[in-house]
Amino acid sequence: MNDPQEVARRLDAADYLVDDGLAMAVFLALRLGKPLLLEGEPGVGKTAAAKALAQALGTTLIRLQCYEGLTAGEALYEWNYQRQLLAIRLAEARHERLGDDDLFTAEFLQERAILKAVRYDGPTPPVLLIDEIDRADDEFEALLFEFLGEASVTVPELGTFTAVRPPVVVLTSNRSRDLHDALRRRCLYHWIEFPAAGRAAEIVRRAVPGASAPLIASATEFIGRVRALDLDKAPGLAETIDWVSALAALGATELAPAEALHTLGTIAKTPDDRLVVAGAVHQEIA
Amino acid sequence: MLLRGIDRAAFAVSFANRLRGAGVLAGLTEIDDLVRALGVHPPDSRRALYWTARIALVRRESDLVAFDRVFEDVFTDAAPLPLNRSAAGPAGHRDDVHVPVPAGGDGVAGGGLPWATRPPVVAEAETGDESGLFLPQLRPSAIEALADRPFEELDPAETAALGEVLRRELTRWPTRRTRRHAPDSTGRRIALRATISRARRTAWEPVTIVRERPRRRPRRVVMLCDVSESMRAQATAYLHLMRAFATVTPAEVFAFATGLTRLTPALSRRSAEDAIAQATAAVTDRFGGTRIATNVTALLRSHHGNAVRGALVVIASDGWDSDPAAELAAAMARLSRRAHAVLWLNPRAGTPGFTPAVAAMAAALPYCTGLLPAATFHDLFAAARAMSFSSTGSRGPMGGSGSR
Repeated sequence: MNDPQEVARRLDAADYLVDDGLAMAVFLALRLGKPLLLEGEPGVGKTAAAKALAQALGTTLIRLQCYEGLTAGEALYEWNYQRQLLAIRLAEARHERLGDDDLFTAEFLQERAILKAVRYDGPTPPVLLIDEIDRADDEFEALLFEFLGEASVTVPELGTFTAVRPPVVVLTSNRSRDLHDALRRRCLYHWIEFPAAGRAAEIVRRAVPGASAPLIASATEFIGRVRALDLDKAPGLAETIDWVSALAALGATELAPAEALHTLGTIAKTPDDRLVVAGAVHQEIA
Repeated sequence: MLLRGIDRAAFAVSFANRLRGAGVLAGLTEIDDLVRALGVHPPDSRRALYWTARIALVRRESDLVAFDRVFEDVFTDAAPLPLNRSAAGPAGHRDDVHVPVPAGGDGVAGGGLPWATRPPVVAEAETGDESGLFLPQLRPSAIEALADRPFEELDPAETAALGEVLRRELTRWPTRRTRRHAPDSTGRRIALRATISRARRTAWEPVTIVRERPRRRPRRVVMLCDVSESMRAQATAYLHLMRAFATVTPAEVFAFATGLTRLTPALSRRSAEDAIAQATAAVTDRFGGTRIATNVTALLRSHHGNAVRGALVVIASDGWDSDPAAELAAAMARLSRRAHAVLWLNPRAGTPGFTPAVAAMAAALPYCTGLLPAATFHDLFAAARAMSFSSTGSRGPMGGSGSR
């Protein structure tokens, strides 16, 4: 891809609409070969960006979902102990001698997401999505540094694997804790804003092809107003898409109070929010 | 084409210098990124330049406001920006300060917390012995006597000295189980990796079984401190308590009166005077009215609301709230569901015959794990001790269900 406009076009073809900032961020990440760290409110399409990027590049998406307690064994690689023990027993039965070199070979290495991305041998480098990095504990961040900096993984018994074509790495974070400066330094950073009403409508139209235009327009406009209210969890784009899908499934072609109230569970996620949003429905939708 | 024929490196360095002056952390890596980005895609409009520079130089959301201001300042004819770090605005709100996490010892289970009772007066030997160790310039008895005086009778120097003692007092913390494991001979789980590598020495016969158990970590502490008019005397002492939290554990510290201010970055500084001065400057609405319910709700709604999850929440306030009590009850219910334990420090709780009669206090109490007096430094020491010995495991004795 030669310029940010082309990135935007290609992502558009993958049904993911980007603004100038995200297009530039993706373009620079691809050209400079640096990982891209995406942050934003929940539901603005951070994970979807990585998926769309994989589709636009015509390559596979390797996803690593982070959680507390994630270790090298689940993210990088692990030795297949069971098979190693079996091989030892077999060798004993055949009266053969086995050395370390026979046991610690690629045959007994179980690749996990990151090593898989490094050793990927397709025609185009894969997209590696490290999702919700803030959920993993901070020790895990240190594990990533070698990979993020040099696109390589070191297995002490075997040596260092370096990617022939470095994978495209996208990290997402919900900011439930601060990431370390060393991690941020290794990545390009983009903060995804909640899109304005017009672009939100365009995105929802792509995501829910069956919904009628007036329904989408009034629903996104309503969400825009609801987001200004005092809510515990302001509805994001994902919630808007769910809501419009629900309304479309009910056969609604326009935003009507009855259907809106029935499907409130898709946009209001706590009892308090439900009351507030229901009040807004009564007030705003005549 | 913008910036035709300029020295890209010189441009990037001087722009990054401008940003650093405004408090944005833009180092050599970021400058290098900007130079390369300008190389691969020479910006053809101001907007393209903005995005290129922002993506290459800014690494955190809290820096965006400062970046926008500097960019505006450099590329349009805006009012000049005060180019020093102490300038008010976004520089003060950076939230990238990493609080050192001590290797928290496993807390002792049980202990419990006093419920609206004055803790027993600390035996002189105990505190005297400890303070003799770390505060040579003051005799133990002097500290001891100061600690018993109410906050309003202490001068700033005495408050600072006691704050230092308090900071050192805080060494033990309630811990939580993590999902990581560490080798431990009493553990239940077998560490496969370690066992197999041991087995290499014994002809692949797993003779030595290495066991492991979940690692424990200090729980996060979230402190909400009332700095309104009615708490004027206590506010500085509580700032010291907050500073003690922020320097020794993973802690989030907020001050509130009418609005909520995050003080964690300000208070995790090494020097006490600096920290208190910065925190005082950060709180703009000091000594106004109090809106506890609004601020608790605001905390839960902000992205720092996640910090409360599983944490030890300490609210320091006298309970005079201008919000309706029902709102506070709802907010506290949410808070207590999310937090591991909620402790309320009340400066008036130590007076004999105190009953939580203020409407807000009465509404909040059912959702608190404990109500502790906090009128003197002695009370604060006792409170700190009560917190550090609070339950370590699952929501056991401190679960709060007993008090509802």
